[in-house]
Amino acid sequence: MSNEVKTKEKVDMDPKYIIKLTVTLFVTCVIVAGLLGLVNSVTEGPIEEKNKTKTAAAIQEVLPEMEGSPTVVELTDEMTAAASGAGATITEAYEAQAGGSVIGYALKIVSSGSQGNIEMMVGVDAEGAVTGVSIVKNSETSGIGSKVMSNENGVLDQFIGKSAADGTLSVGKNVDAISGATVSSRGVTTGVNAALAVAGVMG
Amino acid sequence: MNLKKQFMDGLLYQNPVLVQVLGMCSTMAITTSFFNGLGMGLAVTVILTLSNVIISAIRKIVPDKIRIAMFIVVIAGFVTMVDLFLQAFVPALAESLGVFIPLIVVNCIILGRAEAFSYKNGVVASFFDGVFQGIGYTLVLLAMCIIRELLGAGTFGGGLLGAGGKGIQIIPSQFPAGMLTLPVGGFLVLGCLIAAMQWALSKSKK
Repeated sequence: MSNEVKTKEKVDMDPKYIIKLTVTLFVTCVIVAGLLGLVNSVTEGPIEEKNKTKTAAAIQEVLPEMEGSPTVVELTDEMTAAASGAGATITEAYEAQAGGSVIGYALKIVSSGSQGNIEMMVGVDAEGAVTGVSIVKNSETSGIGSKVMSNENGVLDQFIGKSAADGTLSVGKNVDAISGATVSSRGVTTGVNAALAVAGVMG
Repeated sequence: MNLKKQFMDGLLYQNPVLVQVLGMCSTMAITTSFFNGLGMGLAVTVILTLSNVIISAIRKIVPDKIRIAMFIVVIAGFVTMVDLFLQAFVPALAESLGVFIPLIVVNCIILGRAEAFSYKNGVVASFFDGVFQGIGYTLVLLAMCIIRELLGAGTFGGGLLGAGGKGIQIIPSQFPAGMLTLPVGGFLVLGCLIAAMQWALSKSKK
C-alpha cells in the first residue's frame, strides 16, 4: 500500500489525455446518475405518499370544520396573478365543505424563507378571514427558523382571524416575529398575504 | 494499517472538528438538539465511510487532474441517496435537519478525508478512517448539543426523549440562557471545546 500520491501526470494538451479526462468524468457521472435513478425509484413512492398524507392533514388542520374530503379547485390566471402580486406563488387550491355549503378554502402557497422555499397551507373561511396556517415543507435553519415552522409560542396562530380588512400584514407592524427568525417569519407573513389576496379574487 | 492509531486519530489527535477544524458550518448550525446532532453525525458517518471506500477503490483509475471533480460527483451521489432515504423513511429527521443534509456535499470533512486519506490508502484502511472520523465528528456534535441544549433550553435529549419529543426538562425553563441555542452560542461552546481539547493534547504530550 503506497502512501505516495501518484506522480504528476503529463500536463500538456495532448488530445488523447484530454479525451481520457472527459470520458472518465462522463462515465462516472453516468454511473452515479443511474444509481440515483435506482434509489429514486425506491423512495419516490413513500415520499409522495408522505406528502399526500401531509397535505390532507394540513387542510384538516387549517379548516377543522371541514367534513369529508376537500375538492381540488383549478387555478385561474387571476388567482396566480393575485398571489404573485403579494410576493408568493400559489400551487394548489382546495374547497372545503360542511353541511352541504362551502365553508372556506385551503390554499397551498410557496414563499421564500431564509434557506429556501416555505410551502404552507393557509385556510381562509367564506368571510375571507384566516382560519389557520400550517407549514407543509420548509428548509429553515434547524433550531431558529424551524421554531416559526413548528408554531412555537403560537407564532402561526396569530394569523387566525386576520382578513383583507387588516391591510397588508407585515412583521413588526401587525405580526410578531420570533427572535432570530425574522426572515422566516416574514416568509410566512408574505404567504398569508398572498392567500388573502387569492381568496379575495375567488370571492 | 494501524487500527488503534486510526481510532485514536479520529477521536482525539486528528479529530475532524476539534483539531482539523473542518465542517464548522454544520457543527454550528445543527447542534441545538440531541436528535439533530445524532442524526447529522450518523448521516455524515455513513456518507463519509461510503465515499471513502469508493474513492479509495477507484483511486488508481482517477486521473490526477480531475480528482476533485470525481470526488464531488461520488460524494454528491451518496448525499442525494441518503437525503432521499431520510425523506422517505425518517421524515422527522429530514425535516429537522432541512438544508443541512444536501449541504453535506460541501462538508469539508468528507472532501478533506478523500483528499488526505482515501486517495492515498487502501480500501479497508479508508473504510475504518471513515468510520472513526465519523464517530469523532458525531461525538463532538453530541457534546455540543448536550451543552447547548442544557444551558440554552434546560433540556436533555431534545427531539428524542420526553413528552412530545421536547426533551427532559432538567433546569427549570426560566433559568436557561436562550442565547446558547442561537449561532453565537455555537461559537462560544465550540471555542471552549477546542480550547479544552488543545489544553488536554498539549498536556498529554509533556
